[in-house]
Amino acid sequence: MYIIKNALTSIRRNKGRNLLIGIIIIVISCACAITLAIRESANKVVSAYEQKNPIEVTIGMNRRSLMESLKQDDKSQEEMINAFNEIKEPTEEEIINYGNSNYVKEYYYTYSLGVDAKDLTEATDSLVKETTEVKTEVDTKRRTFPGGDSKFPGGPTSSGSEETTTSRRTTTKKTEKIFNEKASGGAFTLIGYNSYEDMKDFINGNYTITEGEVSSDFNSNSCVISEELAQLNNLEVGNTITVIDTNNDKNTYELIITGIYKENTESSSSMSSMFSNSANNIITNINFVKQIVSNNSDNLTPSITPTFIVNSKDDIEKFTNEIKEKGLSEYYEVTSNIEELENATKSITNVKTFANTFLIISLIIGAVVLIVINMINIRERKYEIGVLRTIGMKKSKVSFQFMLELLTVCMFALLIGSGIGAATSVNVANKLLENEIANTNNEVGDIGKNFGKDNFMPDMDAKKNFKVANVNQINDMNAIVDFKVLGQLFGIGIILTLISSLASMIAISRFSPLTILKERS
Amino acid sequence: MDKVLRIDNVSYRYKDAKKDEYVLKNIKYDFEKGKIYAIKGKSGSGKTTLLSLISGLEKRYEGNIYYKDKSLKKMDLDTYRNSNIGIVFQSYNLLPHLNAMENIILSMDISKVKVKDKKKKAISLMEDVGLTSSLAKRRVLKLSGGEQQRVAIARSLSYNPEIILADEPTGNLDKDTENDILNIFKRLAHDDNKCVIIVTHSTNVCNQVDIVYELKKNN
Ligand SMILES: Nc1ncnc2c1ncn2[C@@H]1O[C@H](COP(=O)(O)OP(=O)(O)O)[C@@H](O)[C@H]1O
Ligand SMILES: [Mg+2]
Repeated sequence: MYIIKNALTSIRRNKGRNLLIGIIIIVISCACAITLAIRESANKVVSAYEQKNPIEVTIGMNRRSLMESLKQDDKSQEEMINAFNEIKEPTEEEIINYGNSNYVKEYYYTYSLGVDAKDLTEATDSLVKETTEVKTEVDTKRRTFPGGDSKFPGGPTSSGSEETTTSRRTTTKKTEKIFNEKASGGAFTLIGYNSYEDMKDFINGNYTITEGEVSSDFNSNSCVISEELAQLNNLEVGNTITVIDTNNDKNTYELIITGIYKENTESSSSMSSMFSNSANNIITNINFVKQIVSNNSDNLTPSITPTFIVNSKDDIEKFTNEIKEKGLSEYYEVTSNIEELENATKSITNVKTFANTFLIISLIIGAVVLIVINMINIRERKYEIGVLRTIGMKKSKVSFQFMLELLTVCMFALLIGSGIGAATSVNVANKLLENEIANTNNEVGDIGKNFGKDNFMPDMDAKKNFKVANVNQINDMNAIVDFKVLGQLFGIGIILTLISSLASMIAISRFSPLTILKERS
Repeated sequence: MDKVLRIDNVSYRYKDAKKDEYVLKNIKYDFEKGKIYAIKGKSGSGKTTLLSLISGLEKRYEGNIYYKDKSLKKMDLDTYRNSNIGIVFQSYNLLPHLNAMENIILSMDISKVKVKDKKKKAISLMEDVGLTSSLAKRRVLKLSGGEQQRVAIARSLSYNPEIILADEPTGNLDKDTENDILNIFKRLAHDDNKCVIIVTHSTNVCNQVDIVYELKKNN
């Protein structure tokens, strides 16, 4: 007990020395606290982003490999097209089989089917667009396939070769779109969803309902159409449109427009176009699309676009191997949005890396400073050690007392330093997280609005996908960051103090009181 | 009589010294309780060295030192120093950040001696060595040399050891103060039955003690 009393007296009576130690540690711990907070915030941003934007894997035809393999066999163009048509698309059962994997967190798929529509003008500027575009491509094509000469984009010959060039420089979406076109022609694309939670474009806010709503009845003959299509054809909520089976124009189907949506992503259109990519998409439910398919005797096949959400980056490759084993055609390729995701978090990941480096440097400096302080301290207090040892205090007790003193001073300094640091870092962290917080705070309300619903109550299953929990977490974040950071810093500080005290312990055990006292007299 | 301390054929040379450059050579002294001794020697004759062996600060020597028939080499020397012997140095060796009373209490704390009221005991010890209690709370650096040496003596008495070792305790003091301090030591030996060993080069001190041992340089 007397050792504690001694230590406290010694601290009180040597204010100058301890103040100096304290200030140094305050500065270092303050820097560390800010760095830790930045690191922590960056982590939050990244994980919030990852939660909001899961890793999505999709499959699409790999046209390049197809063309190459066909070309090798030296087939004529007609043969090539036939071979192309022979390739079987994955069926719904196969997709479900693929999705039934340990690597897949969840999956969903949409049916899309090209259709024509009665008295409906297509939203397209493709006549203008495609002539300018095809020009270059036609040149290329001519060199490659001298036989083919078709400038008309709808024609079957050109779609095969033209797409070759296009897919070379486009992203997943592109591939998908081409994949969709294989099924059938048609000016419009019917896209059928299974449930609200599959409608990621609405959940993410890529699409928002401007009028009406997305019907909650996934068995009804209802649809939502794009703002552009509505304007072009003077359509309103409550109107009916008639879609026509492209293979059999006797089969017509009526759809009631329950809502009108607008696409918010401008970046997704790689070429300048009057209309957004989704302008001719008619969004409905899967059952409606299936109905059209089953009524058609010619074996009309809709495109099934699956999206598999995998747990981690590593799982992408494992999942790819797995579905290839399960029988995915070699002409299909598996693509993911991982690059996109990594690009989006790149800057913040850089901040994190920088923070980590800075933290390590601060800690090393901190450790060195502590050790130096300790050594100076011991040199300065040699006499005291000598006296204590001559009056019979054990080495271990002297060491303990000195360590206790340093620890007490360091704890106070850490408390003050990390307090100042935390107070400062709240601002820094909030700045870093500003966008993230704003985005997420609006989310629940927004999701409802995206679907055109005022009182949106996602069911339990859907809740998980809407990331409601995530929103709360972000709201409380300031508190979480600070406490966690303080805890970490404290732990690190104490460990460093203890380590640096080792230096003094070694010094004390090697001191001979005799020499110390002799030096004095 | 009661041989409390025996120096049995002790030789010592410093580690960094030459092979046969002994500071102390074949020393044989006996010390009894109730007597005051002086070890006399010129500067550099090895007085402090001998004292550091006796007080257990150094133990790589030839021969043996016995405390009550127990070799120091086999004892826990920290306990020996904080309970069995009291050491008084020429340069007092008090802790400057503590006041007089705290210095004395610290020694009691370290020795784990059982005292009901340590403050009261400290003040009574100070009064025994001729210090007024008004000095108790003064930082030791603000005391005179004589006062500091009295505090050091009070400190060495605080856990009631049988042996008091003093290394030129009056070396920095004037003659009157020297006599005062010497009287305290004499009283401790004769009245309190302690064994007091004073290392000195002062003939005044040698003249007043019971037994004088002379330490010759390079003997
Ligand atoms: N640490 C040491 N290393 C080597 N020689 C020492 C050391 N301390 C003292 N000496 C030598 O031992 C001799 C005795 O020293 P000391 O015991 O201090 O003498 P005294 O106290 O009688 O003046 C001296 O000659 C001195 O030079
Ligand atoms: Mg000396």
